[in-house]
Parts: sequence; structure tokens; C-alpha cells
Amino acid sequence: MTAAHAALAPAGLPGPVLRAERLAKEFSGVRVLSDVSLDLRPGEIHAVIGENGAGKSTLMRLLSGYLKPSEGTLFMDGAPAEFHAQADAQAAGIALVHQEILLAEALTVSENIFIGREIARFGRLDERAMREAAAAQLAEIGCKVSPNDLVRDISLANRQLVQIAKALLGTQRVVIFDEPTAVLTHDEVDPLLDIIVELKRRGVAILYISHRLDEVERLADRVTVLRDGRMVGTYDAHGLTPRRMASLMVGREFASLYPARQDPARLGQDESTPALEIEGAHVPGFVTDVSLTLRKGEILGLAGMIGAGRTELFEGLLGLRPSSFRAVRLHGKPVGFHSPAQAAKLGVGYLTEDRKGKGLLLEEKLAPNLTLAALDRVHPIAGLDLAGEADLLDRAVASYDIRLRSRDAKAGQLSGGNQQKLLLAKVMLNEPSVLIIDEPTRGIDIANKSQIYAFIQSLVREGRSCIVISSEMQELIGLCDRILVMRAGRINGELAGDAMTESNVALCATSSATNEKIPGRNIDG
Amino acid sequence: MLRNALIAAGVTTALLAAGPASAAEKKTIAVSIPAADHGWTAGIVYHANATAKEINKAFPGIEVIVKTSPSASAQVSAIEDLSATRKLDALVILPHTSEELTTPVKAIKEKGSFITVVDRGLNDPHIQDLYVAGDNIAVGFNTAKFLVNRMGGKGNLVVLRGIPTVIDDERIKGFRDGIAGSDLKILDIQYANWNSDEAFKLMQDYLAKYPQIDAVWANDDDMLLGVLEAIKQSGRKDIKFALGGNGMKEIIEKVMAADPVTPVETPYPPSMIKTAIYLTAAHFAGHAPVRGSLKLDAPLITKENAEEYYFPDSPF
Amino acid sequence: MADLAAAPPRAQHGWSIGWGDAGPFLALAALVLIGFLINPDFLSANNIANVVTRSAFIAIIAIGATFVIASGGLDLSVGSMAAFITGVMILFMNWAAPSVGTAAIPLGMAVALVTSIACGLLNGTIVTIGRIEPFIATLGTMGIFRALITYMTNGGTIAIDRSLRDAYRPVYFGDVLGVPIPILVSLAVALVAAYVLYRTRYGRRCVAVGANEDVARYSGISVARVRTLAFVIQGACVAIAAVCYVPRLGAATPTTGLLWELQVITAVVIGGTALRGGRGRVWGTVAGAVILEFIANLMVLSDFVSEYLVAAVQGVIIIIAMLIQRMSKR
Repeated sequence: MTAAHAALAPAGLPGPVLRAERLAKEFSGVRVLSDVSLDLRPGEIHAVIGENGAGKSTLMRLLSGYLKPSEGTLFMDGAPAEFHAQADAQAAGIALVHQEILLAEALTVSENIFIGREIARFGRLDERAMREAAAAQLAEIGCKVSPNDLVRDISLANRQLVQIAKALLGTQRVVIFDEPTAVLTHDEVDPLLDIIVELKRRGVAILYISHRLDEVERLADRVTVLRDGRMVGTYDAHGLTPRRMASLMVGREFASLYPARQDPARLGQDESTPALEIEGAHVPGFVTDVSLTLRKGEILGLAGMIGAGRTELFEGLLGLRPSSFRAVRLHGKPVGFHSPAQAAKLGVGYLTEDRKGKGLLLEEKLAPNLTLAALDRVHPIAGLDLAGEADLLDRAVASYDIRLRSRDAKAGQLSGGNQQKLLLAKVMLNEPSVLIIDEPTRGIDIANKSQIYAFIQSLVREGRSCIVISSEMQELIGLCDRILVMRAGRINGELAGDAMTESNVALCATSSATNEKIPGRNIDG
Repeated sequence: MLRNALIAAGVTTALLAAGPASAAEKKTIAVSIPAADHGWTAGIVYHANATAKEINKAFPGIEVIVKTSPSASAQVSAIEDLSATRKLDALVILPHTSEELTTPVKAIKEKGSFITVVDRGLNDPHIQDLYVAGDNIAVGFNTAKFLVNRMGGKGNLVVLRGIPTVIDDERIKGFRDGIAGSDLKILDIQYANWNSDEAFKLMQDYLAKYPQIDAVWANDDDMLLGVLEAIKQSGRKDIKFALGGNGMKEIIEKVMAADPVTPVETPYPPSMIKTAIYLTAAHFAGHAPVRGSLKLDAPLITKENAEEYYFPDSPF
Repeated sequence: MADLAAAPPRAQHGWSIGWGDAGPFLALAALVLIGFLINPDFLSANNIANVVTRSAFIAIIAIGATFVIASGGLDLSVGSMAAFITGVMILFMNWAAPSVGTAAIPLGMAVALVTSIACGLLNGTIVTIGRIEPFIATLGTMGIFRALITYMTNGGTIAIDRSLRDAYRPVYFGDVLGVPIPILVSLAVALVAAYVLYRTRYGRRCVAVGANEDVARYSGISVARVRTLAFVIQGACVAIAAVCYVPRLGAATPTTGLLWELQVITAVVIGGTALRGGRGRVWGTVAGAVILEFIANLMVLSDFVSEYLVAAVQGVIIIIAMLIQRMSKR
């Protein structure tokens, strides 16, 4: 490995605003970060990449004053700086945009932006001043919500922008973005990246943390790679391909993220009964007259923007929200589900997109999470068979490669990727013949992504059929046999084979155009 | 009680004589009392309703309205509503608390109503035209004197008191005054909230703590029921007397049956509301104004006079 | 942050209680020790038996409340429900006694059970089908049950028929091999409840619903059914407590069970059940109920505390007990 330390600033460029020298952090004796040095220069985007657990978030928290380093020093404008609290870093002009949306939903946009640093006159809140300042800040980053809107009423993308507006309030010299696009869909990403480029143009130093290597390639001037809490190196972004980045992160050459595709010819010839047929689905407010067919052994992708009705279609199908269907056939037999339990019994499993809010009990241990949807399997006659349950967990841990520190760990202590694997194992416990996976890899790292793709592929090889809902077009294209694109509650296009390209998916997801305009479309099904 | 009955009889005679004369103009007497939430207030409600029925039936010239309220604030609202919707010639009130009711009652007084206060006094005694009350100090004092006499002036006592209020304080004060000068010693005194369950627990704890208890006084009969059960369970024989107060019918029955542990009782009869209503009615129907204050005595109830204090139909 | 590659060895399963759950028992042990130091009589067999027996009502009701609270609900009506059930039971037994004699007692118990299950079902359906916050729903039924018992007693007392008194008395005052019957009853209730909560599908679902309603729903659990059933279990526990309570004083009054709901909730929370749901501790609840009764007992047995300050000292001890519990979790 050639760790090309490009640490020295080229002549003529201004010196670093913030510099970290040999930072290390221990938590109760466990070293999670050691010997990390990097610097941030004005008007430069410095990306930090690494797998989950590589130490990215620890580094970010050290730089923004949330944590104090166990060893090493921070320099602000060349002088040693010590942040005792996040407020110190904030005062020094360092802002952090969190990955998760940390806004109070019941408060207005303006109230959220000024939370903790309200403007008051003679002890009385000056609502007007705050509203005006908030409006100015929002306008600056091109966010069109009103300061008076309640956060719960605005879209996810706008919430992210509000969060950025909040972080940018005041003069900022360093802005740290922690996976700002993780919760956004493809076309919500561009405006955000534009904002970041604009900040850079104004001379702000930017630290950019992301899993999306294509974004890193597009934005970054320099890239620092972390692996297992150590620095692999800092590289000039010019000429650094996503594949090379992935190899540096994982520490080995990376052949392909996606498993080998099935033979499309074989699928096309499969004349057997479709696994799932949906006709005339209506979910009030979300889905209008959607019909689709999932063939046996197929991975069917469902693309579209957030709000296009993808998730709601299947929540409706499982009886989780009010809906009506003209007909639903499972392996040719007419069915209708009124609850996820009944769907599971008939062989339809659903992995929610919201694994923390709807998928797993984060405060519970792993075994109760695993069996929660399939308690009948560990309930032979009277009481729960705890030994049997432990066996099931063993098997799940082995077959889905769930990595855990302790068997008594709580689900919330697993990394995102391992939580997703646990959720997959939980749904698979009911042995579904049709599996619907909503956002299978949201917010998880490359190694786990690649494993999950392999699991999905092997599940269909076993004869199951799978629907994958995703906002990541790359993922659908790499994984699926066929892609349906939803827009505004309807299916707006179907792509297969060579027609499955990012531009085609994006076109179907955004334009009201019919199938005719899409080149190389594939009519079948 | 004998005296109450006499008063009632006298008033009734006066009313009978005056009945026809006052029929021309109908007088309204409002009675505001606490809702029945334990034995004694249940007795108040029972006697108030019974008296209202008697008067309404016997005298067409007088209408008695009874209103019960579960709390002091509800009682304030209730009397305000009553006086807003009709002209009150008189208000008979047993206040939940002295503090909260004083001002509202004063307002009604200023509209020209005759005010009769029962049991708990208001903060300003000038508001009332008539005051009828039991004697809480005597309840404690007479019980104490009985114990001093019967125990030869010495022994160990435990006491259960009710809820921190004037009534409770007066009873305890009377009791302490009563044993003053003797060698009766109060080993312990704790609140049991006039509640049988809490009294049961407290008595169990007293029994565990003190190997020798000669007598128990619970300053209310509800608590005495719990005390007796705890003594029975312990099997202890050292307790010679367990006394209560208020005149609950279950305890009067014991007195009538010459129970050795509970041979006497002190009355604090809820029938005082009856006396108050009759006297108020007499103010309108009679020829002479009725004013002043009347303190009902709390003589010891013994086997001999128990019959007079026994109301088998009352819930108390 | 690095996850371990190999699956670590299996932990011991079964009935074992981890250190994290030992809090209430540590607090109880500390309290017993302090009690003994203050007054050696505290540990006399008689006193311990009395106090633990007294805690039985709160313990039994609190075991039911453990289900309600673990499932994310709250029941404020238990105290007045207990009073109401006591009244119904006594009225029924007094009515039946002349014709069936002492057989009125088991019949009365059955009536109590059926009535309180109906009351629990009422609470549950108001909360789940009516979609009313448990706090408000049960605040409403609390008033209803309290008013009903006051109405039934005319504000006074309903006493059990004399012919039944002696036959029924042993249910509170009797013992088996020296162990008072109410203690045995609460142990039995706790055993069954622990089994249901920890070893059955229902228990798992109950905790899951309390931990995260959405996760439960997406896992195919009928949230309404689980919640309603928790209230029904609460009702059944109230009936069992009432059956043990009636023989003690042999009467129902409007003040019966007053403020029991607060003691019940305190016992449950001291015991380690999370008030916001998602975590239930049956044995902790039992310990919590005993702790509360021990505190009251100690107040009387010690001579330090003025009668006027008893409630303040009790409050302080409860908070200290909670702190011990919190610290033992770390």
C-alpha cells in the first residue's frame, strides 16, 4: 500500500484552518482511533472515508468538540486549541451537520434553527428577528420552506436542509458533513452538493464524510481513508476512482460489489406461475391503480423518489395502512392480507426501510428480536423454548454473518450493517417465498452491502422471489433483473436488460413522460 | 342527643303554630354539605336529606334544598350557583374547609341571607347568624377522663389520630388535657387518616413495637374497626381498652352489648345538621329571631344511654 | 467499534437474574439491615410476617400493573376498582349467604373475578378501541369506580354478613406451615406472572408493544389485543387482591383502596419496570411492594421521625431506593 501522505500544502495556498495531529481516542481502555493527522484548508473539500467502525464518527466528534482526544492536539490557525464542549468548537467557527435528522418535529423551522441560542430582547423572545434570520439563512442555501412551517410537515430533504441552515448559522469557518446524503434520494442529492460547492467557493473548509464514493469522487479535493481506527493515508482526489477508494477502505482488491447476475434467458423463459401478482392497488394519498407482477425466482427493483408511493404500496398490501386491491394473487391463488402476521403465514415477508424505528427493538437483546415475528417457532406447547431460540440465533449469526461483541448485546449496539442482517434473519425465520426488502442497504458500509446483495441473490437461487425497493439506482441496476419506476403513486416505467441505466431510471422517476420516450425500453410482464 | 331532640321538638311546635301565617311567602333554605365520602359525612348526608323531606312535607311555606359537594372548590361553586339562580333566604353550611369558604359565604351573607354554620367554623365568626357544632375537645377530654378513672390513673397508651385538621387537633388537645396530671403515658401517636386499613397497619406496628399496651384510643370509629381487627389477630391480652369516637352504629352496638374492651363511646353526632336546619327554619317560621351559637355536648355513651344514639337505618 | 468476528459463547439462559436486575433486592436488603439496626424487633418473625402479608394487596395488584406498564399503558383506576370489586363481592355474598351458606364465599370470589375482568376489559377497550390515552381513560374509570362504591355504601360501610365472617377470616389471617395465606397467594400470582411475562409468546409481545409499537405492528403483532389483554390481567389481579382483602376488615367503604394506584405504580417502578414501557420485572415489582410496606413499618418502629414528617422521610427513602436501583444498573 502506498500511503501517499499529501499533507503538505502546495505553495501559494493558505495554511490550514484546523489541523489535527496524531489524534487518538480510547473508550474505557479500548482504543477506537489512533494516530490520525489531517488538516482542513479554507476553500477545500476534504473527504474522510472508511467502513463502519473505521473511526470516522469518532474523528468527526473529536474535531467538533463533542469528544476530547485521549492523545494528540488540535490546532486552530496554527495555535493549539482545546474544546471542552461542543459550544467551544461552535464559537471557534466549527459546525457539524449530523447524519441523523436531529430536529424537534413539533416545533417550527425557525424554532429549531434557534434552539439553544434563541434571540431575546430584555428576556423576551424576539420571534420576528429569529424568523427573519431563519428565512435569510434558508434562502441562502436555496431551501424553500417557511420558517413558520412545523418540521413534521416538511419533507425529509427539506429537514436535512433545515439542519444545514441550523449548522451554518453564524460565521462558519469549518463545516463537517456527516453523511449528509444518507437519507436523501438521488435527485435530492444534487441541490445539497451544490450548496456544499458554494460553501467551498466562499472559502469555508469542509470535511465531508460519506459512504457514497461517487459523491466523494465528484466533490473532494483530498481524501483521507481510515481503516480499523487507523489512518491508511491522505490522497489527492484527482484520479482516485471509487473502486480504488473501496479497495483502500477494505484493505484488499475489490472485484465487484454485486454478485453475478442470473442468466436472464433462463428467467425470461420461466413460464411457471408468477410468485406475486398485484392488480389495481389503491392506497389513499399515496398509490393510484398500480399493478405489477413478480416472477418466480426474480429480483424485481422498485425505483422512484421518496413519496412516490413505493413503501406505501407494500404497507398497504400487508394491511399496515388503509388500502384496496382489485386482486392479489400469490403463486396463482387469490389472497388478501389484513396483517403482517397473516402475510407471513402465507409466505410473504417484508423488511421495513426504517430498521431502527419499525424493524428492531433496539433496547432488546438479539434473540427476542430475531424471533419476535415468528414466536410460534419457539413455542412448542406451553412456554417459550429459550434453548431452541438460542439455537436459532446461533444459526442466524452463522448464516447471515452477524458480527457481535457479546451474545447479550442489545440490537441497538450492533452496527447498521449487522442490524440489517439481523432484520433479514428475523424476516427469513418465517421462511417467506416472497420477500419484499425496502432500502436493503441504507446507511451501511460497503462490505456489509456486498454481503447483503449476496444473500439476496442466494435467496432467489433457492427459488424465492424478491422485490427490492431502493433509492440507490446503482444498487437496483447492479442487483435486479427488472426495475419498475414509480412516480407520484403510479408506475411510470419498466426497465430491463441494457435499458437499466441511471439516466433511464432518473427519467422515469421524474418526468411525466410515458414509456415511449425511454430508449431501449423492454416491454413485457 | 336528648337535648337535640328536645330542641327539635320545641322548634317543631313553634313551626306548627306559625305554619299557616307564613304560607303566603315561600322561604328557601339551602343546605350545603360535603358529599358522603366516609362514615361521618355519610351520616350528615343521611340526616340532611331526611330533615329536608320532613320540613318540605310538613311546611308548605318553607323549601329546603340539599346540595352535596365533593371538595371545597366544588362547594364554593355550588353555593355561588345556588345564590345566582334564586333568592336564598337562608344558607345552612358545613364547610369543607374554613379558609376557602369564608369569603364566598360572606358574599352570600351580604345579599341578605341568614347564615347557619355547622361543625367547622368560618374564619370570621361575624358572618354567621347561627353556629351549631359538636365539641371536639370534649370528645377527647371525656374519653381521657374515662380511661384515667378506670385504669387507676396509670398505664401505657397508644393513640391513632386522623388527618391534620382543626377537628383532629382539638380532639388530641382535649385528650392530652384529660390525662394531664395522671400517670397515663402516651407511648406513641401517629396519623392513620381516619381510614380503617391504615389504622389496622398502624396498630399492627404498635403491637410489634410495644410489648405492653394498656389502652388504645383511635379518635374516630372507622379507625377503631381496624384497631380491633389488629388486636384480635395478634392474640394479645394486655390491651384493656380500645376506644373510638363519633358514634358509629357498629361501635354503639358494642357498647349496648357491654363489650369489655369497648364499653363506652363519645358522640359527635352527624344529626347536628338536623338541629341546625330545624333552628334555621324556626327563624323564619317562629315569632322570635334565632341567633347565637349552640355547642352540642359530648357525654360518654354507656350501656345505659346507648339506645338514644342508635340509628340502625343510618349508614353511619 | 470493531465487531468481533466469531460469535461469543452463549450466555446462561433461564431464570437467572443479572446484576442489572438486582437493584430492588439490594434496596430491600439495605432496608432490612437499617431496620434491624434501628429496632431489632423489626426482624421478629411476627413483624416480618405482618408487614409482608400487608404488602400482598399492593404486590398482587402491582404484578398486574407490571403487564400494563410494560406494554406501554398505565392504569390509575386500580385502587377504586379494588374498592368497587370489594363492594360487589360483599353485597353478593350477603345476598347469597341466607340461601347457600358458606358456599357464598367461593361464589363471591367467582363474581369478583368476573366483574374485575369486565372492568379491566372496559379499561382496555377504552384505551385501544377508543384510542384514548391510558392516563385519561383510567382517570375516568377511577372516578366511576370510586363513585360506584360510594353509592353502593351510601357513603358508609358495607360489612360482610356475620355468618360468613369466621369462615372467610382465615383467607387473610390463616397460614400454611406458618406462612400467611396472602403471602402464598402473592407468590403464586408472581410465579404465574413471571412465567407468562418471560416464557410465553404473550409476554414477549407485551414487552415488544411497550418498547416500540411500530416494530410490534410490523412484526405482525396485534397491538390492540396485547394492550387490552394487559388491562384484563390487571383486572384479574385486582380481583385476587380483593379476595384477600375482604376478610381483613370484613367491610367495604368509600375510602377502601384510596391512593393504592400511586403505591402500585411506585412499587412497579422501584422494581425496575420502565414507566415508559418495554421492560417488565415481576419479582422486582414484588420487592418494590414489600419495600414500600417496610418503609411505612419502619417509620412507626423508629422513634426518630416526628409524626408530621413521616411522609417526607418516606419520599426520601423511595428516591434513595430508586437511586440504588439506577446505580446497580451501571
